[in-house]
Amino acid sequence: MTPDAITLRDVSKFYGEVLGVNRITLDLKPGLTGLVGPNGSGKSTLMHLLTGLLRPTRGEISVLGVDPGDPERLFRIVGYCTQYDSFPSGATGLSFLRHALALHGVPADEGDRRCFELLQQVGLADAARRRIAGYSKGMRQRIKLAHALGHAPRVLVLDEPLNGLDPMGRAEMIRLFKELAADGRFVIVSSHILHEVDAICDAVVMVHGGSVVAEGQIRAVRGEITSQPIQVLVRCDRPRAIAAAALALDHVVEAKLLDDGASVLVRTRDADAFYASLTGIVIGSGAAVETVLPADESVDAVYGYLIGQPGVPT
Amino acid sequence: MSSARWTLWRRQAWAVARHELVRSVFSGRVVPVLLLLAMPLSLAGLRAFFLPPGQRLDLAHSTADFAQMFALFHLRFVVFFACAVVFAKLFRGEILERSLHYSLLAPLDRAVLVAGKYVGGLMAAWLLLLPATALTFVLFHLPHGAAGFRQVLSGTGAAHLAGYLAVVALACCAYGALFLLAGLYFSNPMVPALIFLGWEVATPFLPPALKALSFVHYLSSLLPVPPSLGPLALLTRPVDPWLAGCGLLAATTVLLVLAVRKARGLEVTYSAE
Repeated sequence: MTPDAITLRDVSKFYGEVLGVNRITLDLKPGLTGLVGPNGSGKSTLMHLLTGLLRPTRGEISVLGVDPGDPERLFRIVGYCTQYDSFPSGATGLSFLRHALALHGVPADEGDRRCFELLQQVGLADAARRRIAGYSKGMRQRIKLAHALGHAPRVLVLDEPLNGLDPMGRAEMIRLFKELAADGRFVIVSSHILHEVDAICDAVVMVHGGSVVAEGQIRAVRGEITSQPIQVLVRCDRPRAIAAAALALDHVVEAKLLDDGASVLVRTRDADAFYASLTGIVIGSGAAVETVLPADESVDAVYGYLIGQPGVPT
Repeated sequence: MSSARWTLWRRQAWAVARHELVRSVFSGRVVPVLLLLAMPLSLAGLRAFFLPPGQRLDLAHSTADFAQMFALFHLRFVVFFACAVVFAKLFRGEILERSLHYSLLAPLDRAVLVAGKYVGGLMAAWLLLLPATALTFVLFHLPHGAAGFRQVLSGTGAAHLAGYLAVVALACCAYGALFLLAGLYFSNPMVPALIFLGWEVATPFLPPALKALSFVHYLSSLLPVPPSLGPLALLTRPVDPWLAGCGLLAATTVLLVLAVRKARGLEVTYSAE
């Protein structure tokens, strides 16, 4: 259990007879880590375990060397934005944050200054004295984020943090998460919207049925799924010529012309070899290439392959 | 233990206590307690209004009436249920409104959380029950005019009032700890509260060993004016006041220790509640 990483060793959680998560072993590093999986896959259970809101039935968890069963030490370094859309009755944005900071032992005057900084940071300064019960879904999401960020934690655990935010709000929050990650913090974000995770995370942990089905950088995870040929999309002015040349390579299993008449989708068992041959193919065919894109190195596609439902991951 | 840590714990416990005090006194939670408090006050008001002229000169009569009303109704029903409402909601209220996790996501030893909530509940209960008890006492002496006021302010009545207030304060401590614990264990703490009320009411009929497990047995021993219990008096033998006071405080401590143990293992599974 190292003091500079988040580790889970053989962690299981049962709710009576019902399995929450099963024998999870993970090492999380600083940066943005996406926890992905459909609703009910065990993401929130995993996050609750990391933050001590649930105790593992078996296994060990260490968050930067701290046992999640020790809230006094844990929440000096951890902030958690939960999935729960509920607040203490009658609380205003300001009183909610003020109380949270008071529990951190922050003196009142310093607490007030910090509250307004936080409210400014999440764009709620104007609504500070309004009751949270009257906030929109996006505003409630923001105040929860402010609560989690209040004590500048080294580890930020965010359960579906972009739910309810408008596109502008999402972009602002994503920028904030990236800044925090760039600052060397651990930012763990769960989402069932896979392309969202794809857009923001350095690494992913894919959860299905309470188990981790893959973890690491998306490209590396995709590379390990050898049963599914990798798809590469080539946009060019002579897709037929590219397709014909690609099919001559022994590792290419399919070259499919797309309906737009200007693209070819190549499926290969060896992406590196294909990329190495591509320059020669392009020169040989005389085609003008617009773009070359990996077509299934997204979280969405990889998740689909891993759980055996390509194309319908969520 | 460093003094900085104590200072932090004190500050955190005070933050929790203040929060609970505000929630218990300045929110809708206070309505059932106010309704309970209105009962003895209304009773005292009606008695003051309708007391026959012949009894208006007899202060001893009012003293005995209040003792009776306090022992059989105020303590056993009003104080009991007011504490149930205030203390059972300290944890259960937050579980029901799904906001308990905010307390559990703070760098707070669970013992400090329990202590803060208990102190907040106690302040709220005292703030509501002590003035209401004093006011009821005054209303009972109101029909006696100037003599009644002299009795309340400087005579034996003042000592009696202090005694009743001490009993209420102590009852809040003991019942408070019990209902805080009930709120941690039961999804509907009113069920164990009603069972315990039955136990408290049945106390005079219980064998001595079981009487010792009743709060009202000790509280009754501390009353400044023993109520007239008729034939039931044969079944009750008062406990030494020191033993009664210390016994209640010891029971309170045990209940709070159990609450801390339960709170340390508390998990957030709202859907299971």
